[in-house]
Amino acid sequence: MKTGEIVRLKNVTKLYGIGEVVITALESVDLIICNNEYVSIMGPSGSGKTTLLDIMTTMMKPTSGEVFIEGVSTTKLSNSELASFRGKKIGFIFQTFNLLPKLTAIENVITPMWINGVPRAEREPRAKDLLEQVGLGDRMYNRPNQLSGGQKQRVAIARALAMNPNIIVADEPTGNLDSKSGLHVMEILRKLHKDDKRTVIVVTHDESIGKQAERKIMIRDGKIVSGHEKHVCQLRE
Amino acid sequence: MWIDFDTVEVSIKNLRRAGIRTFLTLIGVIIGIAAIVSLLSIGQGLSVAVEQQFEQLGSNTIFVIPGAASIGSGSSSFGLSPEITPSDLSRIESTRGVESAIPIYSRSAVFEFNNQKISVSIMAVEAGKADLFQNTGFMDVQEGSMITRNDSSGILIGNSVAFDTFDRDLSIRKKVLLNGIEYTVRGILKKQTSSFGGGPSTGNSIYMSLDAFNRLDPTAVITPSIVFVKTLTKEDVVDTTAKIKADLERKYGEKSFTVYSSDQILEQINQILSLITLFLAGVGGISLIVGGIGIMNAMITSVMERTKEIGVMKALGASNNKILMIFVLESAFIGGIGGLIGIIVGYGLASVIAIVGSATGFNLVAAFSLEITIGALLFSMLIGMISGILPAIRAAKLDPVAALRYE
Repeated sequence: MKTGEIVRLKNVTKLYGIGEVVITALESVDLIICNNEYVSIMGPSGSGKTTLLDIMTTMMKPTSGEVFIEGVSTTKLSNSELASFRGKKIGFIFQTFNLLPKLTAIENVITPMWINGVPRAEREPRAKDLLEQVGLGDRMYNRPNQLSGGQKQRVAIARALAMNPNIIVADEPTGNLDSKSGLHVMEILRKLHKDDKRTVIVVTHDESIGKQAERKIMIRDGKIVSGHEKHVCQLRE
Repeated sequence: MWIDFDTVEVSIKNLRRAGIRTFLTLIGVIIGIAAIVSLLSIGQGLSVAVEQQFEQLGSNTIFVIPGAASIGSGSSSFGLSPEITPSDLSRIESTRGVESAIPIYSRSAVFEFNNQKISVSIMAVEAGKADLFQNTGFMDVQEGSMITRNDSSGILIGNSVAFDTFDRDLSIRKKVLLNGIEYTVRGILKKQTSSFGGGPSTGNSIYMSLDAFNRLDPTAVITPSIVFVKTLTKEDVVDTTAKIKADLERKYGEKSFTVYSSDQILEQINQILSLITLFLAGVGGISLIVGGIGIMNAMITSVMERTKEIGVMKALGASNNKILMIFVLESAFIGGIGGLIGIIVGYGLASVIAIVGSATGFNLVAAFSLEITIGALLFSMLIGMISGILPAIRAAKLDPVAALRYE
């Protein structure tokens, strides 16, 4: 990774719709996020921030343009290559937690491990360790319906860390949480950035959350309006 | 690799968690497979039973019947059939490959006992040649003894004649009238279970020696109604059958005689049995198709309900193929497990049918064959996979972004 670029969007455009009614969700977006950056992406409803997130995390393909993750051009990868790549490089945290309801906490954390081929023997110990790190060592065998919102989100964070990805992407991580749990979660994110040296990207419409990042990227009407100034990444050890 | 231990494990876990739904879907497959397996089992059992009966008769036996008879049409034919003369008999016996030729003479007569009359059929065999029937199970004597060589007034009577016909039971040493002529009962045959194409039903028959037979109508010239021919070895049967047939037809013309080897009869019977069995199994197969539709329905519902889960799994790194595999495996397992249980239930059902059948006089047997078992298992898994493939493809093709946000 010569330039230290973790995420790079090059002239990305996304159009929805067919024929006459075409919506431009993103228009010629250029964006660079560097290794070990803590970035927030903010914008009003309909600004395209969700689309930007989806494209950045390879969940969606752009209509035109290129997306690079850790220097690899993802727009050229096949579906299964992309899935594997995403599973190992990106950890997701969702507003609605998205835990698998019929599985226990530890089973939820193990899920990305079997999907991405972690050897059997390593799975349980790693999952236990991660759950303890987020303070849920005593709740490992509970199902989501037995956990509070804050606890569910922490399980989701543990799951996001299962494959030890560099990139953590959080979409309104505190949206469904009370303020105390919300603070706790943001604290964990801060540690992931500061202590683990991971790259943290938070999408939010909440100013108090957005300003906790090092750099704020503002998006409106499908265009980035601030935070993307000529940016060169430095190689960090 | 699309399929690995993890995928298999996850599929099974998913099925277990679905609980009742899996169970109900299973029932459809179980019923279908059980129906097919039980029918095939009984069918094969019948086939085996028939073979065994033929085995007893001797698989190196040839039947020569006057007239152009076909199997199942009885021993008489319309029109005048040629009669087997004594010289024909000796020619048959001297045909290469023949060990002995046993002519059977038959007629009907009026049987009178206790002032009651019934019509019976009489069969007579040359004394000394009756040994042929010794171990066939047709002529097992329950009371008394077999007819001896020179006994011109002794008869062997069938079980039904002795016990089910007259107001009083018959026993040995009793005297009866046949067409007005007196005979003495020497023996009573055992009750016989119905045989399928294996041999004569002896319940209503009377057996006697040739001397006794001649007494019924001393002036008549008797000719055999059927000749049993025993060949020296099993291998001779085909050739010998052809030779005898050709020989007789040369003298009397085509279609004058029916010459069958017991193998040929067996083959024809088996063909008919197979046809019937397959037809019945096919009907059973219809219920299996319904079971397959049940699987498809359950899988489609499952995919819909798990849309969000599928989206999450794709976000976590599951490829479309992996999702496809998970769902295909789930439906394959429903098929397989339903098949296993269905096979056990099917054999159980066949056994019950066999027991009930035997109790009412039908010689039914449930056959347990590896072919039926493996065939049914593979078939059920195949049905499972086919039924599940469309829903699985739907799941695999779900757009992850839309799926994630599905509510």
